[in-house]
Amino acid sequence: MTVLVLDGVSKTRGGGAHATQALRDASLSVAQGEVVLLEGASGAGKTTLLAVAAGLLTPDAGRVLLAGRSLAELSPAERRRHRARVVGFVFQRSNLLEQLTVWENVLLMALLAGRPSGEARRATNEVFEQLDIGHLAPRGSGELSGGEEQRVGVARALVHRPALVLADEPTGNLDGASGGVVAEALATCAKARGAAVLVATHDARLEPFATRRVPIVDGRLGEGRSPQ
Amino acid sequence: MTDDAAKGISPGVQLLVKAVRNRPGRAWLAVGGVATSSLLVIALVATLRGAANSVVAYVGQDGADLWITPPGADHFLRLSGVLPAVLTDSVRALPGVAGADFILRAFVAVSWRRGGDRLRLTLYGVGYHAPDGVGGPPAFESGRPPHTRREVALDRAAARRLGVGLDDTVFVNGRAARAVGLTKGTNLLVTQFIFADAAAIEATSGFAGRASFIIVRLAPGAHSDTVAALIRERFPDVGVFDRATFVANSQRETGVGYTPILAFVDMLGVGAAAVLVALLIHALVEGRRTELAVLLALGAAPRTLARVMIGEATRLIVAGGVLGAVLARLLALVLDRVFPVIPLHFDLRDTMWALALLIACGILASSIPIARLGRVDALEAFRP
Repeated sequence: MTVLVLDGVSKTRGGGAHATQALRDASLSVAQGEVVLLEGASGAGKTTLLAVAAGLLTPDAGRVLLAGRSLAELSPAERRRHRARVVGFVFQRSNLLEQLTVWENVLLMALLAGRPSGEARRATNEVFEQLDIGHLAPRGSGELSGGEEQRVGVARALVHRPALVLADEPTGNLDGASGGVVAEALATCAKARGAAVLVATHDARLEPFATRRVPIVDGRLGEGRSPQ
Repeated sequence: MTDDAAKGISPGVQLLVKAVRNRPGRAWLAVGGVATSSLLVIALVATLRGAANSVVAYVGQDGADLWITPPGADHFLRLSGVLPAVLTDSVRALPGVAGADFILRAFVAVSWRRGGDRLRLTLYGVGYHAPDGVGGPPAFESGRPPHTRREVALDRAAARRLGVGLDDTVFVNGRAARAVGLTKGTNLLVTQFIFADAAAIEATSGFAGRASFIIVRLAPGAHSDTVAALIRERFPDVGVFDRATFVANSQRETGVGYTPILAFVDMLGVGAAAVLVALLIHALVEGRRTELAVLLALGAAPRTLARVMIGEATRLIVAGGVLGAVLARLLALVLDRVFPVIPLHFDLRDTMWALALLIACGILASSIPIARLGRVDALEAFRP
């Protein structure tokens, strides 16, 4: 089942003399269970593509279908609710909320996705167990290592069982061992939960888990290819 | 119904409240800033109120039911006319009058030698029938009323400014007198009272046989309007005022003098405090942009976030405002003990108004960045 469709999407960022065409006629489909790596240099348009896919940016041209719904046909509030339900985010820096404990950070995502309180708590416990991070639950985000933070970030992205996980350089700030652990956790847990994963990265440690690699250069998507 | 639902706040909102809450250090900084502003505003208003009310304790004292004034005078503070002192006896004989005493009021130079220094103050000299006549000190901090022409009781703030203590000898218009009492409620801010027997003030001021005011104590059951009308009928050239009117007129007259200046300074202070609170709260909200961007990206509703942020701002402003009010009261207690020259008068309504003003300023200031929440770029969450 196709989770994300980008069809002829273009997007210009900035204005006036600073305007940059971040995406040019980009088309991409991502199906359930896929782990797609979006590979390109800094400024190639990777983050813009993720933001358009999530409905955080509105494309200038083209259309976006996310979990079966055309984002252009949704009001901003509907788009926000749809995003909260069907998308999970993993950011380059974990962006855990420092005033919340690790457990609360993950629980909040489940609640924002509209899960009732009891169900959200169960889902949070379940994803902590799956990622084997139960021991981190009562800690504050400032008490975690970089690798631990990103594993919690992965838990937050998966707790509400989203159809699509969008990850922006999830291993970019991590050393070799930690990066490998996070990459594996993201790919395997997302697959186990039936989510599609679209990862913007240029980290080779993610390649073993990819089902497809798609290059992006100056906002243009290249032909996707399966990893060797 | 769950516990969360019973509280009326959803668990998600509770977590959002916690998520946008500021770190303790920053929160305390904001509370301290708001408290300082609140202290400034409340203290300034209390100073203004203290100045306006400074004359009330004396003019409104018990036993002073009617005030008879020289022609043209309708208040206590500034007048140049005098009455014949013998008029007191005629008033005393009127029906409805239980007692009448005159007071003689004159500016006097009070000096005191401390070490090698000669300190000098010009004070409001009030001569009355010491020690028990009407028109004497309304209250004492220590000591007693003067009993002889060689004794005086002076305001405690004046005593502090001169460095005079009980039993010290001061010079009133050059004549030596022993300070036997320190009085309260007798500080007009720009000057203070000194009390002596009327004969002593007559002797030092050259107003022998004259009175500044005659104070009337009514007989039980007598009505002030009736007695006032009778006095006007018998002595058509004088002014007669009941206590409430004379107090109000004297307060009004205070306002004509230095109160406008104080009010202007107060307004500047209030404005500065309001701007400080506004800037503090604006900075607090702006400081949470990254968290807000993350929450927006994750799907939090901008309207809910706005409510939560306003709640957080209100919490800090109220905490700071209340702390400032408490500090203002403590400051007043300390000032009253160590530096009673500034009469502070706290009024609960003033405090509530000051707090309401600062809370309104803070909420208004927070609402500007909060109103722009919709423009917070959720892509900030993606920035490394």
